[in-house]
Amino acid sequence: MDCKQATSLMHEYLDDELFGEEALSLQRHLQECPSCQMHFKELEQAELMLFATIKRSSLSASDELVDRIMKSIPSQQKQRAWLQWVKRHPALTAAAMFLLVMLFSTISLWNSDDQLIVKGKDLDHVVINGRTVTVPSGSKVAGNLTVENGTAEIYGEVEGNLTVIDGSYYQASTAKILGEVRSIDQALDWLWYRITNTFTEVAYR
Amino acid sequence: MVDHFDVRLVKLARQGDQEAFADLVDVYKDKIFHLAYRMLSNRHEAEDIVQETFLRVYKNWERYDEKQKFSTWLYRIATNLCIDRLRKRKPNYYLDAGMNDQEGLDGYTLIPGDERTPESEYLLTETQQTIHYAIEGLPAKYKSVVILRYLQELSLSEISDVLDMPVTTVKTRLHRGREFLRKKLQHKVL
Repeated sequence: MDCKQATSLMHEYLDDELFGEEALSLQRHLQECPSCQMHFKELEQAELMLFATIKRSSLSASDELVDRIMKSIPSQQKQRAWLQWVKRHPALTAAAMFLLVMLFSTISLWNSDDQLIVKGKDLDHVVINGRTVTVPSGSKVAGNLTVENGTAEIYGEVEGNLTVIDGSYYQASTAKILGEVRSIDQALDWLWYRITNTFTEVAYR
Repeated sequence: MVDHFDVRLVKLARQGDQEAFADLVDVYKDKIFHLAYRMLSNRHEAEDIVQETFLRVYKNWERYDEKQKFSTWLYRIATNLCIDRLRKRKPNYYLDAGMNDQEGLDGYTLIPGDERTPESEYLLTETQQTIHYAIEGLPAKYKSVVILRYLQELSLSEISDVLDMPVTTVKTRLHRGREFLRKKLQHKVL
């Protein structure tokens, strides 16, 4: 056995992985080779010193460390729970975000906007006087009529739906409305109207 | 038996039981602290590592494989954090090292003083200091293996699990680290 081989066996021994025949041959080599004997002694001593140091020094972290760790934890968890939910439901999160943005934009629109708006395809026969939108008797609106922020007075005929937003309507006995009559004066109703309208607009494009 | 106790605590802590988690911290904080202290030779940084380790445990419970020993997972997190720190520290490392070698006595010398050793055991304290410096001087890749071996008394296969490297690599590093320490301690022993 050469000294290089012996050194590697010494380490095996110190790793607790040298048994039987190999252990004996190392022993034999150590008895014959003073330099390896010295080497082995030094390794053994270094090893013993390391183990001794560990056994003797019972290092401990400061006592308030547990408190510090525990305090730093709950806030972390809330954030995580929230984030995890988001990660687990990407579609719902996107939908929620969409609704939120819609809600804010429409509410701000609903609050700020008080101009009279009249919408419809055929407005030739409609008479606008101040905030009053009148469909005179005998005349006919072909299609839908939408009045925002005003009063609708129907004496004649509307072939489509009549929608009144944030206003009121008056329907004379002579009036004929073929479609639905809807009056919207609440933010939420209006929001719903907006959303469904957006979708139908998109669908028709 | 200790393992069994661990497994129960880990299960409870994983389900969000804060008290069980605090118990786990209490059981392991000193071990992790000791490991980090030997790696970094700095009390303050070592405490940071303990805190960071448990935070990571708390945040990453879903990554913990119950087939694995909890301590192995814990040591792995702590060792990686320490290695990261050592890497970041490198630019200043030479300055520090130079100072230590020349004077031998500076801020670091005070550190072994808080290792709760009775003053009467002066000789032992000196030996401890010698070892402290020897370990400190170990190159980082040998350091983690040597520390896990001698401080945590882990087997070679456990070390290979913690460091996520083959047993043969662990062996080579341990042998080189041991030789390094032998040379450092050669003329200082007894």
